[in-house]
Amino acid sequence: MWTTLRYTLASLRGQIIGWGLGVAALGLILIPFYDIFQAEQGDLMEMVENYPPELLAFFGGDAATLATTEGYLGMYAFSMLPVIVGIFAVIEGSGLLASDEESGRLDLIVAHPVSRAALLWGRTLAFVAASLAIMVLGWLGFVVLLGGSSLDIGWGQMALPFLPLLAQTLIYGALALLLSMLLPARRLAAAVAGGVMAASYFLSSMASLNDSLAAVARFLPYDYYQGGEALGGLDWIPFLVLLAAGTVLLLLAWWRFDRRDIRVAGEGGWRLPDLRLRRTETAREA
Amino acid sequence: MTTNASEEQVVLMTEELRKSYGPVQALRGVDLEVRRGEIFGFLGPNGAGKTTTIRCLLDLIRPDGGTIRVLGIDPQADPVAVQARSGYLPGELRLYDNLTARRQLRFLSDMRGGNADWDFARELVQQLDLAMDRPIKNLSKGNNQKIGVVQALMHRPELLLLDEPTAGLDPLMQREVLGLIEQARADGATVFFSSHVMSEVQTIADRVAMIRQGEIVEVADTRSLIDRAMREVTVTFKEAVSPEALAKVPGVTLLSRNDGGMRVILQVKGDMEALIGALDGMPVRELETSKPSLEEVFLRYYEEPG
Repeated sequence: MWTTLRYTLASLRGQIIGWGLGVAALGLILIPFYDIFQAEQGDLMEMVENYPPELLAFFGGDAATLATTEGYLGMYAFSMLPVIVGIFAVIEGSGLLASDEESGRLDLIVAHPVSRAALLWGRTLAFVAASLAIMVLGWLGFVVLLGGSSLDIGWGQMALPFLPLLAQTLIYGALALLLSMLLPARRLAAAVAGGVMAASYFLSSMASLNDSLAAVARFLPYDYYQGGEALGGLDWIPFLVLLAAGTVLLLLAWWRFDRRDIRVAGEGGWRLPDLRLRRTETAREA
Repeated sequence: MTTNASEEQVVLMTEELRKSYGPVQALRGVDLEVRRGEIFGFLGPNGAGKTTTIRCLLDLIRPDGGTIRVLGIDPQADPVAVQARSGYLPGELRLYDNLTARRQLRFLSDMRGGNADWDFARELVQQLDLAMDRPIKNLSKGNNQKIGVVQALMHRPELLLLDEPTAGLDPLMQREVLGLIEQARADGATVFFSSHVMSEVQTIADRVAMIRQGEIVEVADTRSLIDRAMREVTVTFKEAVSPEALAKVPGVTLLSRNDGGMRVILQVKGDMEALIGALDGMPVRELETSKPSLEEVFLRYYEEPG
């Protein structure tokens, strides 16, 4: 398992650097911008108050919360980061095993004396470590300029919203991995997991405006996301709920992987039926 | 299933092995027995079930029914134990394009706990003239196949499961790989390899099994399979003779009669003893026998309706 972890983590180096620096860059822009925001707060608040409430809901707040540190960072960073980093989670989660399987490489790898459990958990742990590394790099981007800003936040406090973000990343990665074990193609698994992520973001954001949506949103991961509010203290329950749900998804993925046939390259692929061809055949038959 | 070899001598055994892919029955009760130290050729056209059988042996796919024992182990119960003692070359070998051959081999060795014999691996690389430091994406299919052969052999496994080991190699390299397989057997390994290239099976296999549409149609010593197949015999006489007497010999069929009865072409099934007895006393000038190749034997099996 440790060999698998080591090699998978090495293969994720580029992703860690790319996504980590991307999140860090957001922090490097937003933290110094806070003082400008404060200086122009009157004008900005007036502008924000004119936003439709539906739009504000997507950014996780209203004009009043935006005036706070949590509201500012929540609106401009942490409300959207689960979707941004979620793209990494969906792509990498769906490809953890299915990428090698679809290219035909898994056939040879699984023929080596590494149990399927060790392979799955080794790669999953590498994904968890990569996600954690992205969070750490991102956090560094958010704290490195803190001293020069008027934001009254400590380095440790700034780490708190990255924990719910990590939980979101892990659950979408776990969902994508499970779907890649159930569905016939990696791309399909990524598309479905991405769809769930987008739906979760939209429905949970809109739920603050519509009670009937709130009932649905309760079953979606974003509803358990604390975002910028975590700066005021981490709510451990939703964080742990997400980790527990992610663990269940991973156990299901393991159960499925342990029992299924390993496909060779090109086997069991999936594509949309060629409707154009079907229409031609129907016309010919007529 | 008849067991001729004692249990410890049987390295690989399948009994009533069945596997379906949806409505397609890939294996319909495959019975095989491979003995320790032999090179066993597994013959069949594309889609006959060769790859499916090999993949079941390594627990890459799960059979629908039947029994498998590899090195005395049920691969479904303990796949890692089987895989640790086996070397495998897939039929559709795919490697990491961005790695060099050296790093790919290092990775695969690490997946085995780093137990490759690197001195031996270097010998293999030299013998196969493999470029070790170029990215795999820049290597030909033949060079990819060489990496596959090296990785299968480099930890000196007890059992080699090779799916079309010479595919994509030029004739010179094919000979080299067949030499390596024979060397592995000489070093104590048992080899089970699939192929549809008859000449290579004929060259190195001690025994062969032929599979057709997921069923074993023949298992035999390579030599005896060829020997007991039909052969064509041309008899040239000093003077015209009536060939009817020859056509009455059991297993003999008259194919043609030329030169006014001076030359007859016969088809003989089984051994030649009865025909030679019938020719005794006839004015035979020349007797020419064409031995069938394994390919002809193979084609006869597959040309017959299933």
